[in-house]
Amino acid sequence: MNTFRQRLVPYALLGPGLIWLTIFFVIPMYYMLELSLKTGSLEAGFQMTWAFSNYTDAISQYSTQFWRAFYYAGIASFFCLLIGYPLAYAIAFKAGRWKNLMLFAVVAPFFTTYLIRTVAWKTILDDSSPVVSILKTLHIVPPDGRVLATSAAVIAGLTYNFLPFMVLPLFAALERLDRRLLEAGNDLYATSPQTFWRVTLPLTMPGIVAGVLLTFIPAAGDYVNVIFLGGTSQAMIGNVIQSKYLVVNDYPDAAALSFTLLAIILVALIIYIKFAGTSALMGEEEEAH
Amino acid sequence: MSVFTARRWRLLGALMAAVLASFALAACGGNSGLSGSGNEDVTTAKCGDASGSLKISNWPLYIDPKTIKEFQSETGIKTTYTEEVNDNNQFFGKVQGQFSQGNSGGRDLIIVTDWMAEKMWNLGYIQKLDHSCLETVFKNMVPSLKSPAFDPDREYTVPWQSGMTGLMVREDLAPEVKSINDLFDPKYKGKVTMLEEMRDTVPLVMAADGVDPTTATTEDWMNAINKIGDAVKSGQIRRFTGNDFVQDMIKGDVVAAIGWSGDGVQVEADNPNIKYVPPAEGCSLWSDNMLIPVGAPNSPAAYEFMNYVYEPKNQAQITKYVNYVSPVKGVKEVLVKQDPDIANNKLIFPPDSVTEKCFSQVSPPGDEEQQKEVEQAFQNVLTG
Repeated sequence: MNTFRQRLVPYALLGPGLIWLTIFFVIPMYYMLELSLKTGSLEAGFQMTWAFSNYTDAISQYSTQFWRAFYYAGIASFFCLLIGYPLAYAIAFKAGRWKNLMLFAVVAPFFTTYLIRTVAWKTILDDSSPVVSILKTLHIVPPDGRVLATSAAVIAGLTYNFLPFMVLPLFAALERLDRRLLEAGNDLYATSPQTFWRVTLPLTMPGIVAGVLLTFIPAAGDYVNVIFLGGTSQAMIGNVIQSKYLVVNDYPDAAALSFTLLAIILVALIIYIKFAGTSALMGEEEEAH
Repeated sequence: MSVFTARRWRLLGALMAAVLASFALAACGGNSGLSGSGNEDVTTAKCGDASGSLKISNWPLYIDPKTIKEFQSETGIKTTYTEEVNDNNQFFGKVQGQFSQGNSGGRDLIIVTDWMAEKMWNLGYIQKLDHSCLETVFKNMVPSLKSPAFDPDREYTVPWQSGMTGLMVREDLAPEVKSINDLFDPKYKGKVTMLEEMRDTVPLVMAADGVDPTTATTEDWMNAINKIGDAVKSGQIRRFTGNDFVQDMIKGDVVAAIGWSGDGVQVEADNPNIKYVPPAEGCSLWSDNMLIPVGAPNSPAAYEFMNYVYEPKNQAQITKYVNYVSPVKGVKEVLVKQDPDIANNKLIFPPDSVTEKCFSQVSPPGDEEQQKEVEQAFQNVLTG
């Protein structure tokens, strides 16, 4: 009896999570998948016709927006890493008693909603704003150019909005780095940059991998930044899906596009993790063994 | 980790499969509910003793909040007023699931534009109105709105407000914009916006090319959409907007746009350089309408509200606040004493010279499939 109970414990612990996932993820996904193979209209009803053409159409017709989404998300993740790593490093190693305050500052933007933060960028980047005139005097933006309604504005918005998702895992990785290893590096006559490249960076790889995943995946599916900061040639795949669902009411096409996006991200993820190594994601456990 | 042997994983998998299967079966029994029910078995909304509570869904900033308070205190009907309609299509997407099941989601009164009203009616989502319950409404409705093409007997719609779609111009920055064709002038490259509602933007572009939008063919629509698409590719059109073109114009980021007359009145008050200009080739006239959805819990209260806002003195308060064209007779007379500026405003009380060249807002011709093609082509321009 006792052992039977003990056996049940893991299932009981998994239970709430499993039920949650089943009701709010697996079942909706199943309906989406079913819907993506139907044809018809909202008015006449959608019939199951095993229309795999929804998928081929989705890819051939909107490949530009797919590429654009991954391109923007990739650049935004790169900038997040570029800005986020030094920031997380500074918080973890140099902040001292300001550490908590600085961490709070990283998370603080979340106290305002995503939409409001993005709309604020509209004001920051509008044609007559000080930021844009400075960029113009520095000849970064041509005199008759603009920032708002361009790719640059969308990427800036994405970078800003997803930066905390990069900083937090990086901070966690840097924070738990064993300082004695750095001392050992110095003792073995490594210069600071050498210690960084050969000790700090490899050991914080899990944070980098997690951070890139947490910024790239939501950024690739984002559509809010384009609505406010983009123009007519910046639409990402998220905008196409949104318009298919809400404006054209073509649910099967929208579902097919969503699944294609999901599939591409999954494949990219698998390649990425293979390349980065599972040990990078689960570095801690590997070490423990 | 050793607790989870392969056998147990299989067991867990089987368990999950069983749960899934039972859900799937239950869902099959319940019908997916995506199909419309048609309007053969349409019901007529009943009136009678108006009391209890009323739930209204309207567009943002489309009523004076005082009107709701006064309605509540005068009638004792507890009113929940939600500004949840931001875009006809998006609202349709939001409510379609409920409406198709004959469930109004607790809404007693919704307000959507002409073509969306017609679409919802054709799907059987909307109840027929009993004209004997709407004496004040039909006594005071302006004659020109009494029989629109899509609902000649006002069987299911009562106009809420009307307006014109035309040109909005920064007269200090683009003084010579008088026609929709001027929006395509390279001089204003990147300084021009259009509305993201296809039925606002495309007919105006067609009219500018000498096509009568009310008799336009699918090909005419496609030509206009292609023309807009080319302007998007060349960078001529900065972006497509809802009401938010207003902010772009105040900043001067945009100097000319396709916009709505009601916004014109409001913005002119803030910045006198921004003017609504009736396009030389004609403007588009539309109404938003009050509808009682099937399944509305309290239709008597909905009728009460319709009659209430058709009293000229109550309507005057709304007109003062929203600045659109009122569907109610006698409002101007009320306002001449209260607020002569508004009473004499040519956009709120347009003289014949302003409206004579207007056409009523149109949808693309053809059946559902053809309309969808046109809508899709336009969406492809928007997401270029």
